[in-house]
Amino acid sequence: MAETVRVIGDTLPGADFNSPLLEVDDLHVEFRVRGRRIPAVRGASFTLEQGRTLAVVGESGSGKSVTSQAIMGILDTPPATITGGAVRLHGVDLLAQSEEVRREVRGNHIAIVFQDALSALNPLWSVGFQIGELFRVHRGTSRKDAKLKAIELLDQVGIPDAKNRVGHYPHQFSGGMRQRVMIAMALALDPEVLIADEPTTALDVTVQAQIMRLLKRIQAERRMGLLLITHDLGVVADVADEVAVMYAGEVVERAGIRDAFKRPAHPYTKALLRAIPRVDTVGRELEVIGGLPPNPARLPGGCPFHPRCFAAEDKCRTEVPPWVEPAASHGSRCHFAEEVYTDER
Amino acid sequence: MGRYVIRRLLQALLTLGIVLFLLHYLTALSVQIRGNPALLFFGGDRTPDPGMLAQVERLYGLDNKCYERVGDPCLAPFVDRLQNFVQGDFGTTLNGNRDVGQLLAIYIPNTLRLFIFATLTLVTVAMVLGTWAARHRGKFIDHTVRGTTILADSIPVFLILLSYVYIVAVPLTRWARDIWGTESFMGQVFRPNYNPDWPWVTIIVPGIIVGTVGLATMTRLIRASQLENLGSDFVRTAKAKGLKPMRITIVHVIRNSMIPIITGIGFLFAFMLSGAVLTEGVMGIPGMGRMIFQAVQRQEGNLVIVGLTVSAVVVVFVSLIVDLLYAALDPRIRYE
Repeated sequence: MAETVRVIGDTLPGADFNSPLLEVDDLHVEFRVRGRRIPAVRGASFTLEQGRTLAVVGESGSGKSVTSQAIMGILDTPPATITGGAVRLHGVDLLAQSEEVRREVRGNHIAIVFQDALSALNPLWSVGFQIGELFRVHRGTSRKDAKLKAIELLDQVGIPDAKNRVGHYPHQFSGGMRQRVMIAMALALDPEVLIADEPTTALDVTVQAQIMRLLKRIQAERRMGLLLITHDLGVVADVADEVAVMYAGEVVERAGIRDAFKRPAHPYTKALLRAIPRVDTVGRELEVIGGLPPNPARLPGGCPFHPRCFAAEDKCRTEVPPWVEPAASHGSRCHFAEEVYTDER
Repeated sequence: MGRYVIRRLLQALLTLGIVLFLLHYLTALSVQIRGNPALLFFGGDRTPDPGMLAQVERLYGLDNKCYERVGDPCLAPFVDRLQNFVQGDFGTTLNGNRDVGQLLAIYIPNTLRLFIFATLTLVTVAMVLGTWAARHRGKFIDHTVRGTTILADSIPVFLILLSYVYIVAVPLTRWARDIWGTESFMGQVFRPNYNPDWPWVTIIVPGIIVGTVGLATMTRLIRASQLENLGSDFVRTAKAKGLKPMRITIVHVIRNSMIPIITGIGFLFAFMLSGAVLTEGVMGIPGMGRMIFQAVQRQEGNLVIVGLTVSAVVVVFVSLIVDLLYAALDPRIRYE
């Protein structure tokens, strides 16, 4: 098999390698349902550098999956509409590109691993066909060579007996193996950005650890940027370099992993961390965050977190908090970010 | 896969056996209850000479004593008939004493042609319209497609047939002949009746008309199953792989929505037989539908049985094909 040299500018015109790998800047996504406009993402911003892992953490409904689908450009429009912001890959704003360019970007530059591999794989085609499809469509590889590539990839993600397994169908694999197939498919065209949208949620705990180790290993080998979407802070601590915490459609805190865990600057992050069972809390009752995440159709005024916040004061109800940076590259959207950071609140 | 095929094949044979026996038992019952059809040979009213009656009974296989006992399954004549069928002997007609086997050689190909055109019409039109409606769900195109197909389906076939034969066919044929001449494809295709010299061409229009039976059902079936797949996770994966919408539809949607569609086709095939009876009657096509209809009218028991046997074989065969197509399409069924 002849290796073709890949020039990123071929499939992404105007790429500038001095700018960050992936930059999401003030992204706004709305859903229009029966004439009503429901904001799902309200100004998400974060940056992912090459070879780094950024974890986007949030409860269900916080807009993290919508953000990842907006980056991929696979949101169903309608009902969803991207109403503002930019998604820049190597400095090129993807949202401003034509559909053809975006199709080239998908798979070639950005790939995604979905949560439930059983439904995310087509049940009627062999895994080899589904992996090989990427080479055939994007690279014009022949059926035979595509199959060889698929075997190679299955082998890389640790599927034993890949030569035989390549012709098998998704239902013939176990949950963990299926997720490995998903990962192999995402890696096929050697993308610079890998989005993993809750990659381990549908799996057993033991298998979860294996899949996370695999993702970490592959990311290190290929120097990819990994965008890990999850609600599991335990996973984040092991794998991520940076964290972006999302609440009600916006990023409420962004920090390096150590800083975020040691000295959170947003009450929501702080409360989340207190809710993790730890060795030193054994025997004591776990803290919880009271209440429910807000309905995006009826967000509370001011800071959307104020009804559940332990540090809320009057101005939280009326004033939208600004983005504050209590320390270098550590930001928080809270009126009292400094106090929370220094543990005064 | 091999075991699946063998199992389905045995099931098909068993079904066919049961259908043939039921058919035989019902005819036997009608002879036992309604009286000896051999009397019809003599015109019905007159009492024939017992010797001649016995001869006629022997000729048509009615001489077995079981026909006099109500409820007797008449197994011996059943086995006889099956043996004759296997040897290619389908008996003769009461009217004109013609060999039924020779009639079938003319009728079956004509009905097959009709079914080929009908199925092609149904599948292509429903496929295109259903896919189109699914891609534009909830929009004007979707509503138009659904409205039109229901309209087409709610007009009875005989009405379409009659209005074609009496209103459209003649002027259209005349116009076509002026341009292309009588002995040409265009000169023949619009004819209001069958022409044995152009057996394929003159069956195209009747086939299309039969194909409108079940168009609405089929279109909705296709629309629904494609919508289900369009919203599925693996279509999202396909989008994330950077595939073009056309490829997603062809590779990841159509094949996945084929299973309910194939079921529908198998089901509509049986329906089309009733359409064939009408169409063959109105357009004068010598086919199985017309044969069965006339046989029932003339009380030709043997012809009825042969005709229904053929249609039973066709229906069982089609459902066998449907089952095998399931397996070819869906690996989960194949490895069951």
